[in-house]
Amino acid sequence: MNSLIKLELTRSLRNKKFLFFSVLYPSFIYLIFSSSAGSGQRVDDTGLTVATYLMVSMASFGALTAVLMGNSERIAKERESGWVRQLRLTPLPGRGYVLAKTASAAVVSLPSIIVVFLVAAAFKDVRLDTWQWLALTGVIWAGSLVFAALGVAIGYVASGDAVRPITMIVYFGLSILGGLWMPSTTFPRILQDIAEWLPTHAYAALGRAIERSEAPHTTDVAVLAVYFVLFAGGAAWLYRKDTLKA
Amino acid sequence: MTTTAAPPTTTPVVGFDQVTKTYESVRAVDGLSLRLHPGETVALLGPNGAGKSTTLDLLLGLKHPDSGTVGVFGTSPREAIVAGRVGAMLQSGGLMDEVTVAELVKLACSLHPRPYRAADVLARAGITQIADRKVNKLSGGQAQRVRFALATAGDSDLIVLDEPTTGMDVSARQAFWATMREQADQGRTVLFATHYLEEADAIADRVLVLHRGRLLADGTAAEIKARAGARRISFDLEGSIDERALRDLPFLTALDVSGQTVRIQSSDADATVHALYGLGAYPRNLEVAGLGLEQAFVAITEAEEAKQS
Repeated sequence: MNSLIKLELTRSLRNKKFLFFSVLYPSFIYLIFSSSAGSGQRVDDTGLTVATYLMVSMASFGALTAVLMGNSERIAKERESGWVRQLRLTPLPGRGYVLAKTASAAVVSLPSIIVVFLVAAAFKDVRLDTWQWLALTGVIWAGSLVFAALGVAIGYVASGDAVRPITMIVYFGLSILGGLWMPSTTFPRILQDIAEWLPTHAYAALGRAIERSEAPHTTDVAVLAVYFVLFAGGAAWLYRKDTLKA
Repeated sequence: MTTTAAPPTTTPVVGFDQVTKTYESVRAVDGLSLRLHPGETVALLGPNGAGKSTTLDLLLGLKHPDSGTVGVFGTSPREAIVAGRVGAMLQSGGLMDEVTVAELVKLACSLHPRPYRAADVLARAGITQIADRKVNKLSGGQAQRVRFALATAGDSDLIVLDEPTTGMDVSARQAFWATMREQADQGRTVLFATHYLEEADAIADRVLVLHRGRLLADGTAAEIKARAGARRISFDLEGSIDERALRDLPFLTALDVSGQTVRIQSSDADATVHALYGLGAYPRNLEVAGLGLEQAFVAITEAEEAKQS
């Protein structure tokens, strides 16, 4: 399976568009958003500066991009092209395909997190303790698994034509409503209520807790865990259905 | 030879026992029983919709039978694949995009328990020159060769090919079958589905004719031709022609008289011609020719359809 992970990764690294959107794009948005508001300003009730607050948002957004896009579109297209069938004629275990995809997406999502951190530290003077940087990287990276599972599920449910629009709707919907682009506290009440239960909201909240030197809130961890079980279970179920039908 | 223990000679390479597979209301495979033996090169012949692809999918464990059993080397298809005993190339098998031919072949080698060197696999499939090309930039025939390379990346005992020469021109097709014969000469069992009838005739030791999911005929290409009225006799007769006398010729399976020209199909041409002279006839421009497998196949299929309706 390592050989498949390596090849998936080689392919991702060759795909300039994918690399741009997952590794560089979040940092661009970070610079634009954090410059439009004075970086020293505090985001109400969190006590964090805009620059610090947005850093977690955009690092989470970058990781989300890498794992969600990387999985959903490739899987849907490769189911259609028959590559998934071809792999089933090899000794590779069935789950190996999905694991290799997720592993290679995780390798790309790591730099997308770190680049945002570097940009934030270099241009926006974000300063945190060493343990905070490490914990942030670890939590955001691990949390992205929830969205990798979602990507797999979308890949198995969507056809090759439909996968991009579906992914885009889910991607922007989760990013914007979950408060990754702007604090959800600026939303109308009803949207705020929805936002609180979105996985992206809980995801970014984990990182913000670390920035405030707090332990992540149990609710956020629970929300993410429930979504992970839901997405991974859905993905496994759809995968099995697809395997029987193919 | 191989690192795995040789199976007892009684274990068939492939065994289908009363296998049925239905999609909605269509019986794609209908009570199919067959056995393949070690070292055979077998053609699975039939028109589109005969059930060839479903049969191969069942054999490879991509589909599961509604009833009956499928065994490969005495185990389940999946177990045989995991043991590296089966290499397969499907029509519907896609390739990974955005990687080179060499990278993909290396991947296939690394997944096989008894791999060959990637360079050898490339050379044998005749794709060394395009090794650095991106997979999505290949022609149809080149892609087929890459699929063949993936199917032969390791030391498998059974090679399964679904219409392998689709998209190849005549010379590529010949080169392909030469490569394939090497595989068979190394003692492998080869099963290929085709509707190119001349391929079955030229390549296979044994031909299985599939029609509506059932096995219509099983034998050598020569036997199948014989079954359908194997030889075509044509000649001209002068004067009036006694059709009744001609119809009574021994071994005659079809008669067609147009003008002075008589065309006969016979399952024993020698006996038919001998009897023709016995009638006192003087046939001119006598020709005796074998029926192509295609005609034999059409004849068998038509006979079957006539029986059913």
